[in-house]
Amino acid sequence: MTQPQDTPRLSSSPRVALFVTCLVDAMRPSVGFAALKLLRDAGCQVEVPQAQTCCGQPAFNSGDTAHAAALARHFIETFEGYDYVVAPSGSCVGMTRAHYAEALADDPAWAARAHRLGERTFELMSFLVDVMRFAPADVKLDTSFTYHDSCSGLRELGVHDQPRALLGKVTGLTLKPLEGNDVCCGFGGTFCVKYPSISNAVVGEKAEAIERSGAKLLLGGDLGCLMNMAGKLKRKGSGVRAFHAAEVLAGMGNAPAIGEES
Amino acid sequence: MSTREAILDAVRGALGHKTVDGAALRREADALLADLPAIRPDLLADGLVEAFIARLVTPKVAATAERIADARELPAAVARYVEARGLPAAIALQPAAVLQALDWSGFDVHDRVAPDETLAVGFARWGIAETGSLVFHSDAETPILANFLPLHHLVMVRASTVLAYLDDYAAATAGQRPPRNVNIITGASGTTDIEGSLVLGAHGPRYLHVVIVGEATDQSAR
Amino acid sequence: MEEATLSFKARAERALADPTLKIAIDRTTGTAERKRAVAMSQFPQFDAARERGKRIKDHVIANLDHYLLEFERNAIASGAKVYWAATAGEASQIVVRLCKEAGAKRVTRVKSMLGEEIGLPHALDEAGIERVETDLAEHIVQLGGDRPSHIVWPSMHRTREQVSEMFKRLHRAPHQEETIEAMVDSARRELRDKFLSADVAISGANFLIADTGATCTVTNEGNAELTTTPPRVHIVTAGIEKLVPSMGHAIAMLRLLVRSATGADVTQYTTFHCGPKQPGDRDGPEEFHIVLVDNGRTRMLREGLKEMLRCIRCGACMNHCVVFRQLGGHVYGGTYPGPMGAVLTPVLDGLEKSRDLPHACTMNGKCQEVCPVAIPLPTLLRGWRDRSWREGLEPASVRFGLGMHAFFALRPGLYRMATAIAIRVMRLFSRGGVVRGMPGLGAWTAYREFPAPAKRSFMEMYKEQENQR
Repeated sequence: MTQPQDTPRLSSSPRVALFVTCLVDAMRPSVGFAALKLLRDAGCQVEVPQAQTCCGQPAFNSGDTAHAAALARHFIETFEGYDYVVAPSGSCVGMTRAHYAEALADDPAWAARAHRLGERTFELMSFLVDVMRFAPADVKLDTSFTYHDSCSGLRELGVHDQPRALLGKVTGLTLKPLEGNDVCCGFGGTFCVKYPSISNAVVGEKAEAIERSGAKLLLGGDLGCLMNMAGKLKRKGSGVRAFHAAEVLAGMGNAPAIGEES
Repeated sequence: MSTREAILDAVRGALGHKTVDGAALRREADALLADLPAIRPDLLADGLVEAFIARLVTPKVAATAERIADARELPAAVARYVEARGLPAAIALQPAAVLQALDWSGFDVHDRVAPDETLAVGFARWGIAETGSLVFHSDAETPILANFLPLHHLVMVRASTVLAYLDDYAAATAGQRPPRNVNIITGASGTTDIEGSLVLGAHGPRYLHVVIVGEATDQSAR
Repeated sequence: MEEATLSFKARAERALADPTLKIAIDRTTGTAERKRAVAMSQFPQFDAARERGKRIKDHVIANLDHYLLEFERNAIASGAKVYWAATAGEASQIVVRLCKEAGAKRVTRVKSMLGEEIGLPHALDEAGIERVETDLAEHIVQLGGDRPSHIVWPSMHRTREQVSEMFKRLHRAPHQEETIEAMVDSARRELRDKFLSADVAISGANFLIADTGATCTVTNEGNAELTTTPPRVHIVTAGIEKLVPSMGHAIAMLRLLVRSATGADVTQYTTFHCGPKQPGDRDGPEEFHIVLVDNGRTRMLREGLKEMLRCIRCGACMNHCVVFRQLGGHVYGGTYPGPMGAVLTPVLDGLEKSRDLPHACTMNGKCQEVCPVAIPLPTLLRGWRDRSWREGLEPASVRFGLGMHAFFALRPGLYRMATAIAIRVMRLFSRGGVVRGMPGLGAWTAYREFPAPAKRSFMEMYKEQENQR
């Protein structure tokens, strides 16, 4: 699916709050700066609320619903004053859109606020394509890539065509399909440290599929999954380099990849 | 309190139930089967018999099929089948009047199916175009084991009794007292229990040959 | 069994270290996944059918008391005898008693997951009744003396080479040729006379038809009919959630079940059993008994797991589960493996014993996507995690860790400081772009590199940039 480049943008440029996510904040800030650039290029007024921390997904998925609810309230208070909230992660956005109401089920007023905010919260690629009708211009990268569809983005948010449409606009960049592109990489948040050997077996198969694709780059939309796959590829001695798709779209595809010396 | 009452009480407690109106419930249940075309597959051909045969010979069903104009041609069809496969001309014949009335001269015919029977000839009450299925009812003319013991099962079905969908069979028999067994048979016996690969002739017949007699009364699938 | 005394993690390690098991799992689940995909591509009505199937099951569950009584009434009218069992033990006791009353020396069984759930094989063996498993996979399981590892392919954990070796050792006239066809033939020869000489047949039911009192079995081998026809007595055990209002509803469910399980459009043999042999019938049992089993189902209804009662036991969730495909079914330790098993086993065996199962899931959602009745499996699994947390079953280290995380994450200023410190510590251990040998990261770095963080966090750098603007 492609989007026409000259589709008119929203009449006024929306006020967008960028939620960089805790993982991008601590591990790979370049993804945050790439998101910032793309959103600004798309015509958004971007702000980065300083009170942002974590969406609460680790607590929620561990069964610690009380802490997840506290973090959900914090997130809602931090972000509900904007037109949109955008994050470079399907997983964190899936948490806010699909699960906040569940975490706050005991508190209907907060659950309603969560629902209203969820409707305005988007994963970066889907926001750029579906809301802003944006396509990157003048980005060149002569190489090949394969794409892993991270599970939350794919199944909770329907993110599939959007990153491909955006990456299709990068001059010189060709897609090599990934066998099992929609199969989980074995990251699963805390799963990968709770059951490391199972996680390893899953990501081992994923790394083999990535290598079989013949692509030079591995791209995806969630840093957690990318760190898992990049870490496995590197341990195997593979030459495939991993980036968040936003980095490539923002013209940072020649910088050090995930797991390379910076 | 009996176990029965305890289970029913537990169900009612969990559901928070009062009394239910059986007729209203039946209407609600019937409504769940409205607009069947939206929830079932398309037939493989326009004509019912054509769709039935097309389904029978798909690799998934893996049966063979032929058409004859009249039931009296069945013994000749069986003779061709036997000859083509080099089988002995001995058949276990289902004790159905329609089969018993035919001229089986040249065959060694018996009506009890042996555990290692090579070939049994049977008669199905209905065919189903949707799935390529044959439907049998247990009764005085239909021993159930005859459908399962032979290696080769050759079944006659009338074109006029080929129905479009399994639902049409359910509708055709709704309200009647059900037989002890309704067998809906679709192709030969198969198993995928060793590594998922399909092998025919697991416990039941390895080969199913369907002979369709006459013309359908209504040639359209709808 | 030794296996049962090991922890989930120990069983998982053992499975991961078994290359033959992995080959066996991949062969069966890979084939199942491909065949299902083809079946779906030929059934564009699937989404609508699945929504309808879900509504049919929800309708039945919402009126379960009514349908149970309707079924019972019609079954009795057809000449069947109906029994009710609250627990697994009660259910298998009823079956054993009926077998004894029938003077049974040999019983033949049609594969039924409910039979496994209520411990029927063991109960029959204990009672000294010869038990013949007639489903090929259950026959392999019986020869191997182990347990089913999949609900559709119980012997999925065996490669063809292993099956061949067992048949050669244990069959009276084993195959000569090393093909799966020849092995299937060997089993056919082995079981033939046993079908015909049994005193009692025991089957499960895929559906219970309320408006006729019939039970429905689906098989591909034809073993259900060969099993249930010759003996004088046929006993059915079925969970109370198996009800559907009518045959028409069963047909709608059947279209979903079979495509999801094996990729066929319909099973080779779909049989409705209604009462005992009728006057004039050429064959069939003289007695027909139906045991309706609760065993936790009313508790599921009460305790927020009623969506799980929609389950029609197709196995698609496990065939598509990345964890199951690494481990196989035995590791799950209960009757039901994979995602559906991880939801059911805590009900059947208690959460304390099985709390690992809901955790051993990446929450990727594939199981829900392929489920033919749209059971929100990840949500139900998270529900168990929530309950495990509330009941204090989660390890203290995890409670402490998440508590600390929340403490900081609710205080942005402190959180920034903690992040900055964490980055600096990680960078102390960084070489060539990855973190090596850092305490606390072992679970990750034992298997893969941990990419090193950048020098400063996004928030630090962003603030600095903004100040310079």
